Parts: sequence; C-alpha cells; structure tokens
Amino acid sequence: MSKFADIDIDPGIIKRAAAGDARAHEIIYRAFSAPVYSICLRFTKVPAHAEDLVQETFIEIMRSIAKFRGEAALGSWIRRIAVTKALMFLRSAWTKRGQLLADDWHEVTEGDALSHGISRHPDDAMDLDAALASLSDVSRTVVWLHDVEGFTHKEIAGFMGKTESFSKSQLSRAYQRLRPLLEVSEEGTQPQGAAISY
Amino acid sequence: MPGNKKDDEMICALTAEEHAALQTGLRELPDTMPPRDVWRRIREQAEAEGLIKEKGLRKHSNWYTGVGLAAAALMAAVVLRGFMQVPVDDPGTIVPDMGGSQPPVQLTTLQTLMTESRELESNLRALPDAPRVQRASTTATISDLEDRIAAIDYQLNDPEVQMSPEDTELFWRERVRLMKSLLQLRYAQAQRAAF
Repeated sequence: MSKFADIDIDPGIIKRAAAGDARAHEIIYRAFSAPVYSICLRFTKVPAHAEDLVQETFIEIMRSIAKFRGEAALGSWIRRIAVTKALMFLRSAWTKRGQLLADDWHEVTEGDALSHGISRHPDDAMDLDAALASLSDVSRTVVWLHDVEGFTHKEIAGFMGKTESFSKSQLSRAYQRLRPLLEVSEEGTQPQGAAISY
Repeated sequence: MPGNKKDDEMICALTAEEHAALQTGLRELPDTMPPRDVWRRIREQAEAEGLIKEKGLRKHSNWYTGVGLAAAALMAAVVLRGFMQVPVDDPGTIVPDMGGSQPPVQLTTLQTLMTESRELESNLRALPDAPRVQRASTTATISDLEDRIAAIDYQLNDPEVQMSPEDTELFWRERVRLMKSLLQLRYAQAQRAAF
C-alpha cells in the first residue's frame, strides 16, 4: 500500500481544519508533507517544481477540506490531489515543449543506465532511485502510480487523459528497461518464475 | 521478434519475483521532507486568501496583551503542575479550578492524556539506542513522526498561542497517538537489532 494509507489523522483535527483552523492544517501538513513532496519530486525531478506543487496541493486541501466527507481515508484524498496537481504540471510542461504524451519517451538502454551509476543489482535505494529517474517522465509516472500508489490502468488513463492501453504500454516498456537492473541472482541469470500480467 | 502480441507481452512482462522486487524496492524508497520554508509560503498564501484562521493567536500585541499572556502562562504552569501531582489511578480526586467554565470531565481527559504521554516518553527512553544499521524507510518514518511530535510540542509550548481546553486536549490526543506509533516502530527496530 501507499505510504499515504499509513497516516491517519484524528477526525477532530480534520473537523477543525474544515473550519479553517491554522493549527489543524499545520498538523495535516506535518503528517503528509513528506509523501506529497516525494511524489511530486519523483514525477518532476526538480525540487523547486516539487515545492511549488506541495504548496498548490496544500492550498487545494485548505480550499476543499470542508467538502471532504470522510468516506475514503484522508490520505487517499490528499494523494489524489497531489497526483492530479503533479500530472497537471507535467502535462503543462509537455504542452509547453510542444510534445504529446506518447512522444515523451527517452530511450534508455542498459548501457545508459550503467553509465549513470546504476548497478545491475539495485539492492539499495540509491540504485533503484537512479533507475527510476532514468526513465522518461511518462513511464516513471506510470510505474509509480501503478506499482507504488496502487492505481489501476483505468485510473492512470483517467489522470493522463489517455487510454488504458497507453498506460499498459508505458508500464510494459518501463519494465522492459528496468528488467536488466532487477536481476537478483549473483550469477546474473534470470530468476525463474511465471511472467506477471500488468 | 515474436510475431504475435501475446509473445510481445510475455517478453515485456517481469517475472513475479522481479515484479515483487521492484514493488518492494520502490515502496521502501525513503520519503523526502520538503524544505522548512514551504509551510511558511503555504501559510502566507492561505492567510492572504483567507483560507485559515489563527484561532487564539493575537497578532497585534499591546501592553495588556503581554500581561494577559504572562498571566495565562502562569496559570497554565500552575494548572499543569496540579495535573502532574494527581495520582494516575485516581484521576477524579483533584481537579484544578479553571474559573468554573470547564466541565471536570475535560480536565480529567487531558490529565489522562498527559500522563499517558509521559509514560510513553518513559517507555521510549527505556528502549536501547537505535541500531547503527537501519532500514532507510524505518528511519524516515521515525524522523517524520519525531518532526510531527515536535510540531505539536511547539504549538503546545508557544507562549503566543492561547488554546482553549478543547484545543489543548485535541493536540495532546494527537501527541499520544504519534508517540504510540513511534514507540511501536522503535520497539520493532530494537527487536530486529536483537536478532
């Protein structure tokens, strides 16, 4: 499950935040700022952009929390706002560059990845972080939304304004590129096991 | 190249082991805290847009405000001292007089929360030091919880903040909840280190 799901906030604090209480909002910010910032940073890779997105996300939370009914967890609601803000930013950036989503694919070969300091055995966070960063904005975002945040292809397609096939295709291509970096055996042999569907 | 779509998919897919490794690795990547000034920026914008209210915080201080704050601080100190002296197993015996405006049940709840918080602090101190080698994700979570507790302590101890008993209770309740999470994590960490 996503880290957002692990954070719970006292309903009394949510109620006070809905009434505009600054201290209640600060508690919510302290609770969720790290996962929100992390998701924005992973999507944009630029700290200044991620900081702006954190600001936009929490301002949106302040504007909308009175409408939050508590049917879903607060974390899920905040995560959705953060993801929407980050994707809006990416789409805007892509638009400014005159690129279509489907064109935003930077071919990363295993050689590229290794030259960027990614080992073939990413057994620590730095390696995996670097491997993720080596993917294109689109495929990195799809991998994160699908494998970390647990969104379905239908939801991801909705976020991106694309089809489910697009989401599946991006994930497939990302896996293809990450696969050489995920070899777990010391001898470099492929681990045995059934292929998964995605 | 395989000639059909099914074969393409099989080549592109990860094995179950690879996929599990990828998911676990991604989920264990540590979170990053935003710079400290981000909250200040958010707060400034929210204040400018009228999205938040500074309940209990007096922005324009006068001489009588200072006297009032000092009196409030003194009263809080006396009240807190009174709380600390009450035996834990007998919460209803002594209830400090707050001018008759507060129902005793609220004070008792607050007193219980403060006592519980103190016990959790004590339990935390009793645990061995954090191991030298730690999981990055656990370290990040512990750090996050400590930050959140510190933020609450800052609010509770800020002399410029005048909290209603309801506010105070809410913040103490949140503090206890976070302390429990922190203790659980540190306990689990200590257990792992023991093996």
